[in-house]
Amino acid sequence: MSPAASSGAGTATATEAAASTGVASADVASTGLGSPGVAGLLRPHAGSFAAVVALQVIGGIAGLAPLLAVAELGRTLLAPGPADHAHAWAVVLAGAAGLLVRLLFTAASSGIGHLLDARVQLSLRRLLAERLGRVPLGWFSRRGTGELAKVVGQDVSAVHPLIAHFPGELTSAFVVPLVSLIYLFTVDWRLTLITMIPVALAVALVPLMMTPRRQREEKELDAGMGRISSAAVEFVQGIAVVKAFGGGERAHRAFRTAAEDFAGTMSRWVRGLSSIAAGMQLALSPPFVLLVVLAGGAALITDGSMAAPDLLPFLLLGLGLTAPVAALGHGFDDLQAARRALGRIRDVLAVRPLPEPARPAEPRGHRVELRGVHFGYEADGGAGHKADGEAGGEAGHGADHEAGQAPGREVLRGIDLVLEPGTITAVVGPSGSGKSTLVRLLPRFFDPTRGSVLLGGVDLRELRSADLHRKVSFVFQDVRLLRASVADNIALAVPHAAPGDIRRVAALVNLHDRILELPHGYDTVIGEDVKLSGGEAQRIAIARALLADTPVLVLDEATAFADPRTEQAVRRALAARAEDRTVLVIAHRLETVADADTVVMLEGGAVVEHGSPAELLARNGRFAAFWRSHHSATTEEAGAGDGVRRGDELR
Amino acid sequence: MIRMLLRLLGPAYAPPLRRTVALMTAAAVAEGLSYALLVPVLRALLGGTPADARPWLIAFGAAVAGYAALRYGSDLAGFRVGTALLRGVYHRFGDHLARLPLGWFTARRVGEVSVLASEGVLQAMGAVAHLLGPLISAGVTPLTIVVVLLAFDPLMGLAALAAVPVVALVQVWTGRSTAAGDAERAERGDEATARVVEYLQAQPVLRAGGRTAERFGALDDALSGLHRAARRSALSSLPGVLGLTFTVQAVFTALLALGAYLALGGDAGAAEVLAILVLAARCADPLLSLAHLGGSARATRHMLARLDAVLRTEPLPEPAEPVHPAGHGLEFDSVTFRQGGRTVIDGLSLSVPEGRRLAVVGPSGAGKSTLLQLIARFHDVDGGAVRVGGADVRAIGAEALMARIAIVFQDVYLFDGTIEENVRLGRPGATEAEVRAAATAARLDEVVARLPGGWAANVGEGGALLSGGERQRVSIARALLKDAPIVLLDEVTSALDPINEAAVHEGIDRLMAGRTVVMVAHRLKTVRRADHIVFLDGGRVVEAGSHDDLLRRHGRYAEFWNLSLTPSGPE
Repeated sequence: MSPAASSGAGTATATEAAASTGVASADVASTGLGSPGVAGLLRPHAGSFAAVVALQVIGGIAGLAPLLAVAELGRTLLAPGPADHAHAWAVVLAGAAGLLVRLLFTAASSGIGHLLDARVQLSLRRLLAERLGRVPLGWFSRRGTGELAKVVGQDVSAVHPLIAHFPGELTSAFVVPLVSLIYLFTVDWRLTLITMIPVALAVALVPLMMTPRRQREEKELDAGMGRISSAAVEFVQGIAVVKAFGGGERAHRAFRTAAEDFAGTMSRWVRGLSSIAAGMQLALSPPFVLLVVLAGGAALITDGSMAAPDLLPFLLLGLGLTAPVAALGHGFDDLQAARRALGRIRDVLAVRPLPEPARPAEPRGHRVELRGVHFGYEADGGAGHKADGEAGGEAGHGADHEAGQAPGREVLRGIDLVLEPGTITAVVGPSGSGKSTLVRLLPRFFDPTRGSVLLGGVDLRELRSADLHRKVSFVFQDVRLLRASVADNIALAVPHAAPGDIRRVAALVNLHDRILELPHGYDTVIGEDVKLSGGEAQRIAIARALLADTPVLVLDEATAFADPRTEQAVRRALAARAEDRTVLVIAHRLETVADADTVVMLEGGAVVEHGSPAELLARNGRFAAFWRSHHSATTEEAGAGDGVRRGDELR
Repeated sequence: MIRMLLRLLGPAYAPPLRRTVALMTAAAVAEGLSYALLVPVLRALLGGTPADARPWLIAFGAAVAGYAALRYGSDLAGFRVGTALLRGVYHRFGDHLARLPLGWFTARRVGEVSVLASEGVLQAMGAVAHLLGPLISAGVTPLTIVVVLLAFDPLMGLAALAAVPVVALVQVWTGRSTAAGDAERAERGDEATARVVEYLQAQPVLRAGGRTAERFGALDDALSGLHRAARRSALSSLPGVLGLTFTVQAVFTALLALGAYLALGGDAGAAEVLAILVLAARCADPLLSLAHLGGSARATRHMLARLDAVLRTEPLPEPAEPVHPAGHGLEFDSVTFRQGGRTVIDGLSLSVPEGRRLAVVGPSGAGKSTLLQLIARFHDVDGGAVRVGGADVRAIGAEALMARIAIVFQDVYLFDGTIEENVRLGRPGATEAEVRAAATAARLDEVVARLPGGWAANVGEGGALLSGGERQRVSIARALLKDAPIVLLDEVTSALDPINEAAVHEGIDRLMAGRTVVMVAHRLKTVRRADHIVFLDGGRVVEAGSHDDLLRRHGRYAEFWNLSLTPSGPE
């Protein structure tokens, strides 16, 4: 439910409907359904929409029959002379028939409308999910997960009235009172005008509710709701911190603040609106309408200018002039919320996805080449603060701060690099040198701002993403396991993997025995049946890459530090290279650096040294200095261990 | 529903809500009673003596004025209570979540809590602000009118009265028949939300795995499931709506026919019959709106029930008379802890004297992190006891216990806010100088100096805008600032390269100085700082001793370290 819908003013906006429905309907049609994505979704359902509207209108008009029957019965009974029995019964029958028609038609309309709504919601959600799966990863950085989840969940649900109620109910809310109004005018135009007084009063209050200030508050409310959603997600995920630093009053301040702000705005908004809203409610309330009609009618009857039976249709139909409007009140309010929700949905749909090539090229081999690659995060953070930070690379964000001062700063500044098949290339460099950003270009988390990344002689942008993913797999630090079985998690990139293969890679990363101990073995659902430790999660990620067995493997070795077994698993992944696999690794261990065929020393987003480890050491430059500092940082361990530490010796 | 609202609101808000409900009921009764005056007015106007209508009309006007006052008052009260409820429920919700055991927070809860915190709380507020009034009025006003009808024309009144039990039955039946559908729909909705969150957060992995939306079956299954549940729930409410509408219309038709019969037969005055039919129409309208309102009420009640269920989940019990621990030593006394049917800690006993350092080593899933969590009482043990300063952690009280403990977690989670805010969490009352000192000790000052925005730099949701090492330094600074006598460390160096690690270790050394420390360690450097080491496997202590002792023993510990230090490839 949107803030607007649930606020007290909900009912009040009834009159907003009266005042601006014409505008609103046109408006909704243009702003809401006008977007190509949404309109395209609705087009196949046009027939159903028409049926919903037609049934609802017929039902609504038929619903007038019993009221007219009472009025007509009154005329017959009050007519001078003996009553016309046959006519009276015919009238009663007609009224009963009208009720039956109304019952059937409105029920059919509502049934079709709701089923239609369920269908449309499903296609909207699918469309959103599909789009979100193709937008550049950097785009996510500006939005909290909760906020986006709200778009796919609640916002789509909030469109419900627009689909299930709006077409039928709005149309009949206009057509039916219009029919009544025409009829009442033919009975007595003066009393018709008097009957309109309450509606006019209510409408007069509308401008008071639509002040810019209120509208600003409504926008704030929506934004505040998004913040609460995000804060709630954060709250639950950060609950361990909340508990550790205790004092319920303090630690979950983000949630409290979001809620407090929202409640504050809400109170202001409600305070501003409540008296007007309540006043409007009064003007439209049946007793007040009846009082106005009776007073007017009594005057007209007393001075003999109107026949007494003519009062009846006003008492019965006059209320109908406001009733649909009032009924719409809720609806209209929901509708406003639906429009805002639809706006947010359209914003998401409007995000340009990473372009797919029109004529995909076929890579030859899997030599990876970086040619004059520049990369900078966009000034607004659009390109990928978050994806980068999320991946958790030590270098990732540092790169962000260090490489540039101004917005639009470059993290990578003209990288030229060739990764030959069958070789391991180790990237080393201080924090913030751009290591994480560099390796993330290969699975195309970002596109370079200048220059190009080529795989088998083909620019990554000319590859279909499906082809790219068959060629490149990666293991980064930030491991996300899905709430799915262990087997499915391992086989993420190879959905039809044989169980035997899954077991094989699980054994390679020292997970097989642990998995067998789980309640349902490989079918154990992670996150539901069991929660895996950080090291286990990382080993699953490595198993994924091993199973995918792609010719290009990108690895962040920091992963290895979770525990010795994981470290060993990483080393196996590196060692189990196929003859011509291309491996790029952010190296943290001296062994890995020593084992690499090529070492790339990165500093400030540029390659400062490049060559075999022995060459570089001999050169006694930056790498040698870096090596020595690492060496001293680890000697204590190496010396203390009973085991043999060999990485510090070059072979 | 009112009862549930009262419970959700808590005692502080209950009286205003009761007053509001009373006002709403009074307004509805007043509306029904005011219609009684329509009968004499219409009798006069339609009966050919319009002049007689005047006093009755004035009386009706007065009645409407009375109704108006009540109605206006109850509307305002509804808005007011609704807004107050919003605030109150948010407070209770937030505070309660913070008190629930960590075990409650499964992956699925993210979706549920996010829905409840936004949609749920708003719906509760909307219920008071604009559902309660119409609902009360739709029920009470027709009943009052029926009473009025009985007074004027017992025959037609009885006919109307006949509808009452039928309408009530239909409402009850509809509620039952739709409850299952609604519950299922809500459940599917939660599932879908959780899947969407997962889908969004796992985008990098999913893309790398070539799983676009259509190929990520879990999400599509959840969405289809939601669709099917929505269909079923829409269809299941249809018979109820039809039944209610049919009943009300049938009774109205019966009154119409009965009125015609009575009037034509001369048993009743035409004017009176017509007046009663006008009343009957007034009776029918609100009843018909019940169909629509009933649906909203059910949805709301369902949401309230879910909020209520969360608020009624038992937090970890607090001691009535908290015990004051003597000192800061730690002790596990035959502790057993089970989670999800698996025994995580199995009859474990160990002790850490005050000021000493214990390193916990072992394979993944051995229960190391759980051990730390039990000290901080994230969960309660299933058997045995965990003691701090000789006192059972369950007897100390959460606040007092947490005040003694500083934790540095394995996965550092930062709140969306500035670096300073995240450090200050350690001790909100700390002075500027203290915060700076803690930051310097944790070598966080370098990070702050590098960040655009410095102390005011935003860390992003979950700290996503910082790198792993930066996050860890924040968390160490936070713990340093807290300056608690007991320090729990969990795999602090997991995501660091050696240079960063040196920085972090320096911070940790300062953090550990003179404190009782339990650390989950994977790196030799960490282990060597400990006075005592336990090797954990399957929730049990397998080996214990000093590093050198353990290595000499050539047991599990020695094997473990050799494994970690031996390259796998052939030399």
